[in-house]
Amino acid sequence: MILTSCLPIAIGILLGCSPSYKQMQSAVADVHVLQKFKPAFTVALYNTTVDVVGNHLSGLLLIKKMPDSSTRMVFSNEMGFSFFDFEFKPDGDFKVYSIMKKLNKKSVIKTLQHDFELILMNNLDNSKAVVKTNDGLTYFIFPQSKGYNYYITNQTGDELVRMERASSKKTIVEAVMKNYQNGVPDTIGISHKTFEFNIGLKRIER
Amino acid sequence: MRKTIFLMLVLVSGLFAKAQYPGYTAVTDLPKFKASFAAAAQKTNSIKSDFVQDKNLSMLSEKITSKGNFWFKKDSRVRMEYTQPFKYLMILNKDKAYVKDGAKESKVSTKSNKMFQQINKIMIDCMQGTTLDNTDFKTRVFENKTSALVELTPVAKGMKEMFKSINVIVDKKDFSVTSIQMQELSGDNTIMRFTNKELNAAIPDTLFDIN
Repeated sequence: MILTSCLPIAIGILLGCSPSYKQMQSAVADVHVLQKFKPAFTVALYNTTVDVVGNHLSGLLLIKKMPDSSTRMVFSNEMGFSFFDFEFKPDGDFKVYSIMKKLNKKSVIKTLQHDFELILMNNLDNSKAVVKTNDGLTYFIFPQSKGYNYYITNQTGDELVRMERASSKKTIVEAVMKNYQNGVPDTIGISHKTFEFNIGLKRIER
Repeated sequence: MRKTIFLMLVLVSGLFAKAQYPGYTAVTDLPKFKASFAAAAQKTNSIKSDFVQDKNLSMLSEKITSKGNFWFKKDSRVRMEYTQPFKYLMILNKDKAYVKDGAKESKVSTKSNKMFQQINKIMIDCMQGTTLDNTDFKTRVFENKTSALVELTPVAKGMKEMFKSINVIVDKKDFSVTSIQMQELSGDNTIMRFTNKELNAAIPDTLFDIN
């Protein structure tokens, strides 16, 4: 009896299936289709809005691929004052060069780090990827140190419908990258599901 | 003896100033400079100008350039409108601030928002010639033939966490501000240059309306 009631929970934890992913079926698909959705940043500037629990921030996010293959992200307000300067290494290492005092909290930095890692698509270990399908969509699931990153494409694998960051229980973040121009998305949206925290990026031609 | 020490200090500070700001020397008669600045500002009731802003990201070897229009009108009213490569409008009207980024409009009281309070104070002080009286900063003044450089080093806690220094370059001809340079702690800086300045141009009050 105990075994019977615990079994679905245990399977859920093992497979990382949250209640919303319950309907998913195992599938076979080439995980390499995701490669074309990985943003090919050289230097890109985005008009940026951040809405966080009733507060609205706006500014510019500069994303630059450095000669050592790391990616730097600098967010500043329109008048030039920097909010943060982050570095993402291809092997998953992360460094904070600067951050304004108000944002300098471990939880804020971790949240931003994981959100941007989801869209940078660095360090995706194909050997650990699990492929599933549901509702005509293909789910490429990558286990992370905590939870999972989902990259969800249409069945033919030519459109990245959305990305999700989830715990074993629920969706934490949904993100989209749209209108790619030369491998760089024109529009990026990141939306948290557990509290009000939304980031919107719209590319600016300089 | 005292005279000798004083002379040495002046010389040393002069050398230091030269090293720090090439072409500039320390202003020796600060009260005179202050009086001239305030007197010129007294005669300026409004300023209409274009501006070009460069944010220099030193470690990334990148520069973000933006452009726009600037209006100032006594008392304490500023309108800054970025037009390229993005649209952003900021109006400061006494203790109120209005911001429009994209379609989003927000109004804040500068009394409750520290950042806007500081922006407001710096902008208004620069335009009204009261920069040297701002107790949030330690000030030093340097000059060359045509310009004066007012170096503002934050002493107030909030500003110290944001800026290493803010340098205001003033045209000695009319004491109008030609550029504002904000040095961040990270080594990055933002330089805002004012061009096509019109002093005492007719500017409608409605430009500063915050409804």
